[in-house]
Amino acid sequence: MVNRPACLPARETDTQPGRLGFPMFVQQLINGLTTGSAYALIALGYTMIYGILGLINFAQGELYMCGAFVAVLLLATGQVGLVGAFLAGMLAAALLGVALERVAFRPLRGSHPLVPLLSAIGASIFLQSLALLLFGPSDRPFPVQLEFRTVEVAGLPVSSLQGLILLTALGFMALLLVFVRYTRYGKAIIACALDRDTARLMGINVDRMVALTFLVGSALSGAAGILMAMYYNATYPRMGLLPGLKAFSAAILGGVGNIPGAIVGGLLLGVAESLGAAYLSSGYKDAVAFVILILVLLLRPQGILRGKGH
Amino acid sequence: MTAYILHLAILVGIHIILAVSLNLIIGYAGQVSLGHAAFYGIGAYVSALLALHLAAPFLLCLAAAGLVAGVCGLGLGLPTLRLKEDYLAIVTLGFGVIVDIILLNLGITGGPDGLVGIPAPVILGLSFRPQPRFLALTALLTLLVLALAAALVRSYHGRALRAIRDHEVTAQVLGINTPAYKVAVFTLAAALAGLAGSLYAHYITFINPESFGLHTSILVLSMVILGGMGSLMGSVVGAFLLTVLPELFRQFKDYQDLAYGALLVTLLIFRPQGLLGGGKLSLKFLRQGG
Repeated sequence: MVNRPACLPARETDTQPGRLGFPMFVQQLINGLTTGSAYALIALGYTMIYGILGLINFAQGELYMCGAFVAVLLLATGQVGLVGAFLAGMLAAALLGVALERVAFRPLRGSHPLVPLLSAIGASIFLQSLALLLFGPSDRPFPVQLEFRTVEVAGLPVSSLQGLILLTALGFMALLLVFVRYTRYGKAIIACALDRDTARLMGINVDRMVALTFLVGSALSGAAGILMAMYYNATYPRMGLLPGLKAFSAAILGGVGNIPGAIVGGLLLGVAESLGAAYLSSGYKDAVAFVILILVLLLRPQGILRGKGH
Repeated sequence: MTAYILHLAILVGIHIILAVSLNLIIGYAGQVSLGHAAFYGIGAYVSALLALHLAAPFLLCLAAAGLVAGVCGLGLGLPTLRLKEDYLAIVTLGFGVIVDIILLNLGITGGPDGLVGIPAPVILGLSFRPQPRFLALTALLTLLVLALAAALVRSYHGRALRAIRDHEVTAQVLGINTPAYKVAVFTLAAALAGLAGSLYAHYITFINPESFGLHTSILVLSMVILGGMGSLMGSVVGAFLLTVLPELFRQFKDYQDLAYGALLVTLLIFRPQGLLGGGKLSLKFLRQGG
């Protein structure tokens, strides 16, 4: 169970670092935004759960993996369409997230903060090795061959796959913002995050809101997993490990507990990583996120946009 | 067969050093480190490189391994130990990934192939290549580490650490310099893990980054939790069980990680203090029947 970051099929590093120049810069920027949008989606889950419970759901990366596997397996049957498989993947991740909260978090509420953290790590290992047993260690390609070409947007080349991924991810983020700001349930979640006891006094069922937070956050992580399974054309049991950790860095970068912050942090981190791989060294690509994480914690621990959790 | 048992005993010793040092961080100071294997790896590589390139004597390699790992622990601990436990967990995990990536990419560390032909320890002309002698050396070091840890946790400083674990603000109010304590114990634990790394490198004589990744960090963490956070005897038992049991159940190797994950969650829900936990370094639990 060693993390082998180098084996990630990195489609975006096919440009040689030697050839600099504006087109390559833009290309790397777009690559970075694409992976960054996935980090942002996972970071939203982290940040919402942190906001309401004050703890890190370490298994967030496994929800990402779960979404991808369910969608890929459904698509491979040939019975389900792309949209149907996508929604089913998100639903599976969401349900798994709610189950996780029940099993690994709820019984531990009120204990030393170390304990739920360690239990989430345990859950993460469990899910990863379960996937390894069920699906085997090898990469699965995305079963549907999507026809994609490069389109010119304002004179710049953008692959339409990247465009689709970016738009889908941004769409989910917009939906989430609307949900949180303008719906009863969204506002109830925010109320619980602000002050759980007062929210309870106001007649909000806190346990239900916690479950709802896990449901929404996990669905978004699942969506990110499916999008990245399309982008990298690979689905495998350990696929969630690094994106999960990086998304956590993104959540901290944006300010933990801050929803727009998670989006900004995710996109920024994706771009930083992509530019770092292109201009510094591709071997150290996966280290970029963690170096940024340590720097942020040193210089501005509250994140770019001030977060609730310190 | 004897050789195999000796081999396991040496590994148990190395794992005890790792688990006890991590327990100082988790069980006594109440901080999480998910990158403990990185310090273990740093120790192993420093020791191996000194022995291979400078033909340095073993004791010097061992000391350097502990020193460099300790300095790395200090460097990581100083900026990050002011953070909450959960941030620290991710930072240390990220540190582990960074070290893994550096070991894979640097020329001098041999990349994914690692280093081969690390010489067996020689102290005062006596070679420790024969397994029984290496076991004696490991046992001696393990006992020294245990004695050091026991002395530490029983002292004033040990009580201060436990106060930090139980309630940091209160500890601060009582005049305990909590950041200094946390950094000190983190540095010490990193140095001890470095020593374990040195022992491992000179015993196995071949190292590559695979032995020092996240998997190892989690294995050591499982030993600490299984044995009981805040119990040194617990760490000894945890290290013993999680070294020997996987060997006994070799045919179920594929299910090993699954079992670890399930074990962690179940233990934390039903017996968060682990097998021997309770924060006491004593065999009192035997007399009291748990």
